[in-house]
Amino acid sequence: MIWKLSLTGIKSRLKDYLVLFSGLTVASMVFYMFLAIAVNPAFIKNDIHVRTDYLKYIFIFGIVLLVIITLVYLLYADTFLLSMRKHDYGMYMMLGAKSTRIGRLIFGETLITGLLATFLGLILGFGLTWISLKILISKLGLEIPHFQVILPNAIIITIAFFLVIFLVVALANVYKLTHTPVITLLHEDQAPVKFRYRPFLRVIEAAGGVFLLAIGYYVMTLPKEQVFKIIPTALVTIVIGSYLIFAAVFSSLVGLLLKRKSFSYHGIRMFTLGQLKFRLQSYTRVLTMISLLFALALGAITVGLNFDSLNDLATQSVYYDATIVSNSSAVKKAESKLDVISKQTYHYKETKKILYFDQAELSKQPAKYVSVNYSNNRGVTQYTVKALQVNKISDSNAIDNTIFMRMVPNHGQQKVKLVSSKELSKLSGQKNFVSLLRVKDFRQAYPIIAKIESQQVKEKPAFSALVPQSKAAFYGNSLAYSSSFEFMGFFLGFAFLTMLASTLMFKVLSGAAGDKAKYRMLYQMGTRKQLLRRSIKAEIGVLFLLPALLGVIDVLFGLQLFKDLLENPYRSIWIPFVIFIILYSFYYLLTVKLYEKLVLTKE
Amino acid sequence: MTEILRVEQVTKTYGKRGEKQYQALKGINFTVNSGEYVAIMGASGSGKTTLLNILSTLDKPTSGHVFINHEDNSTLNANQLADFRSKQIGFIFQDFNLLENLTNRENIALPLSLQGISTKRIDPLIDRIAGRLGIEQILAKYPAEVSGGQKQRVAAARALVHEPAILLADEPTGALDSKSARELLDTMEDLNQNDGITTLMVTHDPFAASFASRILFIKDGKIGKQMLKNELSRQEFYHLLIDHLDTDE
Ligand SMILES: Nc1ncnc2c1ncn2[C@@H]1O[C@H](COP(=O)(O)OP(=O)(O)OP(=O)(O)O)[C@@H](O)[C@H]1O
Ligand SMILES: [Mg+2]
Repeated sequence: MIWKLSLTGIKSRLKDYLVLFSGLTVASMVFYMFLAIAVNPAFIKNDIHVRTDYLKYIFIFGIVLLVIITLVYLLYADTFLLSMRKHDYGMYMMLGAKSTRIGRLIFGETLITGLLATFLGLILGFGLTWISLKILISKLGLEIPHFQVILPNAIIITIAFFLVIFLVVALANVYKLTHTPVITLLHEDQAPVKFRYRPFLRVIEAAGGVFLLAIGYYVMTLPKEQVFKIIPTALVTIVIGSYLIFAAVFSSLVGLLLKRKSFSYHGIRMFTLGQLKFRLQSYTRVLTMISLLFALALGAITVGLNFDSLNDLATQSVYYDATIVSNSSAVKKAESKLDVISKQTYHYKETKKILYFDQAELSKQPAKYVSVNYSNNRGVTQYTVKALQVNKISDSNAIDNTIFMRMVPNHGQQKVKLVSSKELSKLSGQKNFVSLLRVKDFRQAYPIIAKIESQQVKEKPAFSALVPQSKAAFYGNSLAYSSSFEFMGFFLGFAFLTMLASTLMFKVLSGAAGDKAKYRMLYQMGTRKQLLRRSIKAEIGVLFLLPALLGVIDVLFGLQLFKDLLENPYRSIWIPFVIFIILYSFYYLLTVKLYEKLVLTKE
Repeated sequence: MTEILRVEQVTKTYGKRGEKQYQALKGINFTVNSGEYVAIMGASGSGKTTLLNILSTLDKPTSGHVFINHEDNSTLNANQLADFRSKQIGFIFQDFNLLENLTNRENIALPLSLQGISTKRIDPLIDRIAGRLGIEQILAKYPAEVSGGQKQRVAAARALVHEPAILLADEPTGALDSKSARELLDTMEDLNQNDGITTLMVTHDPFAASFASRILFIKDGKIGKQMLKNELSRQEFYHLLIDHLDTDE
């Protein structure tokens, strides 16, 4: 009987339930995707250019962040769920249902809702994982034609994680509801909100908030030698500063507007302002959290997108773009596709102790190398291109060694000796050659060069010793990390933005039941529906706008932290901003629609 | 004497056609003149709230007409109805219905600002009605900080501040203790007698009804009978009413 009641209760709020349900589904879907990428066997075997096994740590880091935001999100989603059901539960109890039965009902409802959403999320997660892996693999330049998206491990972990969370949430719900007096369950909507007056304290809080935020922003622009002092300082001052600003500044401003009668005694403004003044008070924590996490999400996407510029840095320490040691037709064919701007070829023979190089070839075009200088005290590395000094070659010279190491596999103990080409021909042993290439656009040529190197490893296994030193390897690894970061920053940022916007939505909607009476009263007093709608739009608009504004300002200053690491941390900042605006507007409109449906009674 | 309210052949049927229907009002007719104080009494389920909702334009009659200040409600669209309510009607409810997020002064100011009355004129109007109802001291407080009786006075001030054609009250003393109820009824009587405020009150409490100058009895969706106070004192009217209710059972 009571389960039947429960079902009818849910049915009557089906649309609200669907919103909640889809939110939970998205959470488990994204969670599974990250997990499936992190533990994916496709990445366990290393590519010759890319150490993919380390990539999983990036995704595990992503999962940790995702767990945090999921918990926050579920907290507010649950509050909304309870706010929808509270009245019903209270009624059953008033009708004499035992609180243990109600407890079981609440427990069951929460758990079933949660698990259904998890399962649906898993199924959708398979699809999302497939798409993401496709994108990721092509970004990494890997050749993995077959990969799995249905991974038992990831499925089990996802289910276990959400099961545990929903168990805890369900138990907490049972506790909360069975320990609240029935009368409060039935009439909580009417309970007046407490309001703190103490104007003096307000002024101090407001001033403190602005001051702390200013400090936080300022330290982020300081030089980065003391980054370990800057970040904790910025973190503490900005968190506390934002909190104080939400606690004091905004609601005081609204209070002031309310007092300015020439402004507030105007249509429905007074009501809207009155609502906001209290809302901002009781929303202090959510709004603070949302503004900070917004900033993190926007920052993560922006920085992630900018990591690409690190790939150029990675290639700077190697002078030549490709090393060719084979003249098989496969290699030649691939080479012909390159836009070569310079090519120099050296011939050599090797014995156990000595490497014989053709002196004429080396003297004519001395091999070049990049000298790396880390000594700069701001942590900026300097790269200088130098040429081999052929007449000064000696076996004790480390630089010479590294140059020849990039040309001859397993060159270590051998002495280098320059001989004429005639002498070289007379020496016993096989005559080898090595060609050093520079191409017009390395990034563009990378896939072909990577292919040439793999082909050469196939033909001459010894060549594999040269690969890790090659520009292609440096670039490939850098690309793998930057793409993973970019991908993760993007996805995680996206997930964060969505969950935060919907957290705010649930928070607003949780208060709707309590506002219903107010809107009915205004309607009875003769307020036009359009005016009520306008008031709702304005009120929710301000609640959405304030954390977004503060979050955006946080990012703009926060990116200063990356100005030494990245060429221009503000590059492509418009991408996350556009995504943010679209997502956020969507949630704003959705919230307004749902809220209107909850508070405005039909005639 | 001018007519403020005329109710003509009003019926109300709940439930859609084809479904189970229930006729809550079965042809109501009466008029209220300017300056009158009318109470509508009836047992639970007799249709009092239904009638009041129709009078206040919150609900539409199934048939019949309601004229307030000679204007027929049924010809108005939703926005015109809203404007009509905000100008012509003042409400007092059993559960006060004050906005907890606004101070008492702001609550009273709301109907005026909704009507677009100029800012400068609003405060003097509030002060005048607050003085009349004896709530000057609590205007700066929030509703949650004052007593039930005071809340109902604030609600009355809000209902009257824009000088509506008629004050409609649904069980205004229902949530008050007897002392506060008495004070509110005294005030309403005073406002009616000295300020000429036309009042229509719905109640099932004979004591509250005895303050009115005329009582309409509603039974099974029809006005059965009416009683006039005429020259009787309030106590005498009260006793007459009790006797009438006893014999009616
Ligand atoms: N929305 C509705 N749908 C169907 N029937 C209704 C509806 N509202 C009221 N009724 C019925 O109409 C009749 C009159 O109801 P109304 O609320 O007007 O009574 P009332 O006189 O105000 O009673 P009370 O003194 O208990 O408030 C009742 O029988 C009630 O069941
Ligand atoms: Mg009623």
